Amino acid sequence: MNKLPWWVGGILMSGLLLLTFSIFGADRPIGASTYVPYFAGIVFDLDVEKYSYLKEVQNAGAWEGVMLLGVLVGGFVTSIFITKSFKISIIPFGWEKYKNNSVLSRILWSFFSGFLMIIGARLAGGCTSGHFMSGMSQLAISSMIFGTVVMISLLVTGKYFYKLDKDK
Amino acid sequence: MDKIIGMMESVIHQEHGSLALVFLIGIIFGGIIQYTRVDKFEKIAGFAMLKDTIVPKMLFLTVGLTSIGLYFMIEVDGAHYHIKPIVWQGLIIGGTLFGISMAILGKCPGTGPVSIAEGRIDVLIGAIGGLFGGLIFTLYYDDFFKPLMGESLGKTKLTDFFIGYEHLVVLIFGIILTVIAIIIPTKELEDKDELN
Repeated sequence: MNKLPWWVGGILMSGLLLLTFSIFGADRPIGASTYVPYFAGIVFDLDVEKYSYLKEVQNAGAWEGVMLLGVLVGGFVTSIFITKSFKISIIPFGWEKYKNNSVLSRILWSFFSGFLMIIGARLAGGCTSGHFMSGMSQLAISSMIFGTVVMISLLVTGKYFYKLDKDK
Repeated sequence: MDKIIGMMESVIHQEHGSLALVFLIGIIFGGIIQYTRVDKFEKIAGFAMLKDTIVPKMLFLTVGLTSIGLYFMIEVDGAHYHIKPIVWQGLIIGGTLFGISMAILGKCPGTGPVSIAEGRIDVLIGAIGGLFGGLIFTLYYDDFFKPLMGESLGKTKLTDFFIGYEHLVVLIFGIILTVIAIIIPTKELEDKDELN
């Protein structure tokens, strides 16, 4: 299948981060979790004046919201024309192999983990993009703490949530 | 629809790049993630199971290279710091929840939209879960989540502990992360659905 090696991806992503940080670019880091409460505010029609958190994230949420629209377009176009990997699917191969083949199970776990993920990201003030990539690149201590906690939690969950002895 | 237009107007007035540039940053971001296939369940949950190492290799390389480049850009006033505060409880509780959900969903908030764009229905459901997460966080921010995060201990950087040696610290940090990216053994969990 058509794909870029990890090191080309790393170099390109680094270039994109530097462009975004640069005063000739956006003069800000890349982030990808503030848009979620921002969109929740739109979808559930919340009054910005009534909720202090919505007020706090108005600017960053809008910026990331526009970026998100770009991400959807970029992801869609690349999956159709370059990697030719676009496919409507519900259960990923790895889930079927190491967890189960139940659509209901995958959907319930997806909903639950999506819910938890945003609570977690907003408590910590960032996600893989905002903390791990943008934050650690600035040598921010907060991002190093976040990165360490996430790595441990991710690996422990991976070890106990899946049935790892299913390699045939 | 009005609110989507409002979102675009907000970006136009923010002086963080033109509307077109922000949109373009998104397109490139989504393109890189899709083209390297690091948004796949097999890559992210696969890393959680230690059966795939492409995601940490790419992440560490990205941070290693960017840290060195960014430091020198800031030195010549070509960029600024945007450090997030140290809120111990928020970082530890939030990081734990984030790691658990990343292992289960096999996505993060940046890679999730790419997966939705390539047709993954389960991730779309995850995003709807995320919207409810954002709703609950917004509704109970003042009463519950903000106190839970704890006090901010400031926006400290690693270089603040090595005044006078900042260049050296950044260089060593960047090189160590780049070397880590290279020496992590390459393991890949293949998706049989995508093998022809």
